[in-house]
Order: sequence, then structure tokens, then C-alpha cells
Amino acid sequence: MNDLVNGFGFLKEMEQKTGENIGACYQCYRCTNGCPALPEMDFSPHRLIRYVILGQREKALTSKMIWSCLQCTTCSIRCPNDIDIALVIDTLRKIAVKEGKAKDLDTWTFDRYFLDSVKKHGRLYEMETILRYKLEKKDFFGDTKMGMSMMLKGRMGLLPHNIKDRQGMKALFEKARGE
Amino acid sequence: MAATLAYYPGCSLKSSSKFYEASIQKIFGRYGITLKEIEDWSCCGASAAHTVDERLGHALAARNLALAEREECDLFAPCSACYNRAKVTNEMIRSDAVLHAQMNRAIEPLQTSAAIEVKNIIEVLDDYVGAEVIAKDRKYDLSSLKVVPYYGCVLTRMMRVKPYDDKENPESMDRLLFAAGLEVLRWPFKMECCGASKTLTNKEMTRRLSDRIMDMAITLGADAIVTPCPLCQMNLDLLPALGRSKESLPVLFLSEVFELALYGKMLGAGSHMISAEKMLAKVKEA
Ligand code: SF4
Ligand code: SF4
Repeated sequence: MNDLVNGFGFLKEMEQKTGENIGACYQCYRCTNGCPALPEMDFSPHRLIRYVILGQREKALTSKMIWSCLQCTTCSIRCPNDIDIALVIDTLRKIAVKEGKAKDLDTWTFDRYFLDSVKKHGRLYEMETILRYKLEKKDFFGDTKMGMSMMLKGRMGLLPHNIKDRQGMKALFEKARGE
Repeated sequence: MAATLAYYPGCSLKSSSKFYEASIQKIFGRYGITLKEIEDWSCCGASAAHTVDERLGHALAARNLALAEREECDLFAPCSACYNRAKVTNEMIRSDAVLHAQMNRAIEPLQTSAAIEVKNIIEVLDDYVGAEVIAKDRKYDLSSLKVVPYYGCVLTRMMRVKPYDDKENPESMDRLLFAAGLEVLRWPFKMECCGASKTLTNKEMTRRLSDRIMDMAITLGADAIVTPCPLCQMNLDLLPALGRSKESLPVLFLSEVFELALYGKMLGAGSHMISAEKMLAKVKEA
């Protein structure tokens, strides 16, 4: 369904959540022209903005492109109407996950494991984070060469780094996320 | 000029890029800059935290800002991702009282007043050493080294906060490299994304993006790529391990270039996955 009223509802929702003036887009394609992730996307950034304006909520939330995005913000910096497109994408990711509509959970899973590690140790424990991710993906040998090269050069964090105030860290996570 | 700075190493400089920290310590010591590592600093959450939860990202950055403030000097963050997070949060809590109060509640009993400035390695070298001293103090002749300055995508790309240099065409590192006596090539990829955020989740994509950057540097006849960012360095340095069989250029940290200018060698040469030997042979006694 895509009548005009619902349509503006989605635009309004997104403008509220991002604080961006998304309706100002005049489809100049500048965001798309500079996007390094374009070949991996099911549709382009300017089109995504168009879908938001037209109220194509499902299309936007179930797209693969919001997950291919590298969050490099090239698009946002270049937009002549000062729309932070990367933030729009970031916000759509959060809504998609919340509503169980995310098409590609790899990025989300990895980011979550990353944060679990920070919550537990205070600093990133690389080895644990990577292994947890690999276990989840059941992909044990895909990056062996990369891991070996890093290990040989002493560039893989094999041990956890625990900060002293781990209690405070846990509280910070709960307070920041609970508020 | 002697200076003391609060130092936030971030996770990379304590694990995958320890040699960057050693290199920074070495040249900063030489220029009279003292670093005080922030006590009990924690991970800033990089891009992961604000992707999952914006406020968590700010809270993680705010905790470190509060710890740094105790040192009563500006904060130096060599990792571009950490620098970006710290600077953005610092400036946002300055201008948003509600966010400021929320963050102070999250990090209690710590408190931040956002009174200090956050600086990257280029700014520190600019502000506390300066091109003139760099040019005067160099001991080795690097004039046969051609390099491309690779700033990476997060150093100056900030939307609601004013960056320290141009968002699309920064020049500050070019000037430092020039002062150190190298030939700095013009190229279009100063800020092109290397794809580091997807190294584990989409290796092919990262490989494609990093390959383009490496290919461009080779086409232009560079001897090395120079970057201040540990994520960019790591990612480009991993190219052969990601399956690239073509020639690859060494990827140097900005501080390593200064090691070359001052001492003719770099401590961390053995930590580079892409060998720097061929390039090092071009360093001459002045
Ligand atoms: S750059 Fe901005 S105005 Fe142009 S198409 Fe993209 S979002 Fe719309
Ligand atoms: S932030 Fe995402 S959409 Fe924007 S240019 Fe970068 S990869 Fe493309």
C-alpha cells in the first residue's frame, strides 16, 4: 500500500528520527555518483531517499543496500541539500533490526559481538570477537590466510585487555542504552 | 616546542598496530612532545557502537573524554576512527545540553565538561612541531621517495561538526610530507574508502575497494602509500593475504616517514606485511 497519506507518514517518521530534511532531495544523483559500495547494492542511495519520500517503507527496510553501505559518508558530505544520507541508512538499519526485517545480519552480528567484547573487557578482544563471529557463520577457514599473515607479523590481538573499572563499563552500557 | 598531551591509544595501537605506537613515541620524544596515556581508558566503540545505538557510541567516547580532562591538556588520538568519535562527541555535547546531561549520567561518577580539544597526529605535528622545524631537523634525504597521501575516509568527513581540514581535499598531511623532504604525488583517492569496516563480513568488497586504491598508487608511480590511520594501514597491508597477487606498495604510517627523515630507518619495518625494503633502499644520507 502506498497512498499519499501513508507515504508522508514514513517521510515524517524518518525526518523525525534523523533530524534531517529528507524532503529537500531533488534527485540530483550526487550521493550515488560518489558511492563506493554501489556495485554491491540492490538499488542506489538517491533511489533510497526517493523511496523514503514516496513512503515505500517496506522497500527501504528490506533492502540489501542499507547493509552494503560502508558508512563512509561520502554521500552526506556531497549532498547539495545537506541531507545526511548515511545517517538515514544507519537509522533504517536500526528500524529494520527492530522489526525483524533486516536482509543481511552479518554487519549487525559482528557489531554486536564487538560491543559484547567491549562491555565485558572494556577494550576490544579481537580474537574472541572474530572467533564468535566465525562460529556463528560456521566459516572456519575462509580467512585463514589473513589470520596467519597477521599472526606471523604479531598483528593479531590474542589476549584480552581488561580495564580496571569493568563494573562502571557495564553500568555505562546499561544506562546509555536504557535511557 | 615542548608540549604534554593526554594520549588515547585506542585498541589498534595496543594490538594490531603496536609498532605505530612505538613509532609515534620515538618521533614525539625527539620533538619534545610528552604523552600521558589516559588511565584506564576504554574502547570508543568505533563504528560498531553508534551503528547499534547512537547514545552508546557517545557514552563510550564521553567516558574517555572525562578521563582525559583530568590530565588537563588536549587529547591526542592517533587512530582516525577513535579521533572521529571523540571529536564528534566532544563537540556535540558542547552544543547539546540534553545530550551532555544524559552522557554525564551514563558515565557517573565520571563527568565531562567537554573543555579540552581532540587532536589527530597531523594536527599535533602541525601545532607543536611545524613544517619549518621538520624541514630544518631532517637528517636523511628522502627526495627520491614518491608517496601518495592517504587520509582515509573518517578523518575529516564530519557532518554536523566542523572538521580540522577540508572534507574533500585535505592538504595538511601533504604539507608535512613535503616538509619531511618527500615527493608528494597528486591523486584522486586521498579519502577514498578502503572498506575496512567489511574486512570480516564482506571480504570481496573490501578487496575490491582496497585493490583500486593500491592500483591507482602504482599507476601514478608511487613508492609507498602514507596514512595516519591504523585501520587503513592494516587493511591495505592485508591485500596480499586477501588474495591480491599483483605487486603491492608498502603502506607507511605518517610517523614512520618521520622516522626515516630523522633516523634513516623505521623500527617497525618487520611488522609490515608488504615489505618496505625496495622503498627503504631509496633513503639516502643527507
Ligand atoms: S545528493 Fe542529496 S539531493 Fe542529490 S539525490 Fe542524493 S540525497 Fe537527493
Ligand atoms: S555512506 Fe554508504 S551510501 Fe553513502 S557513499 Fe558511503 S557507502 Fe555509499
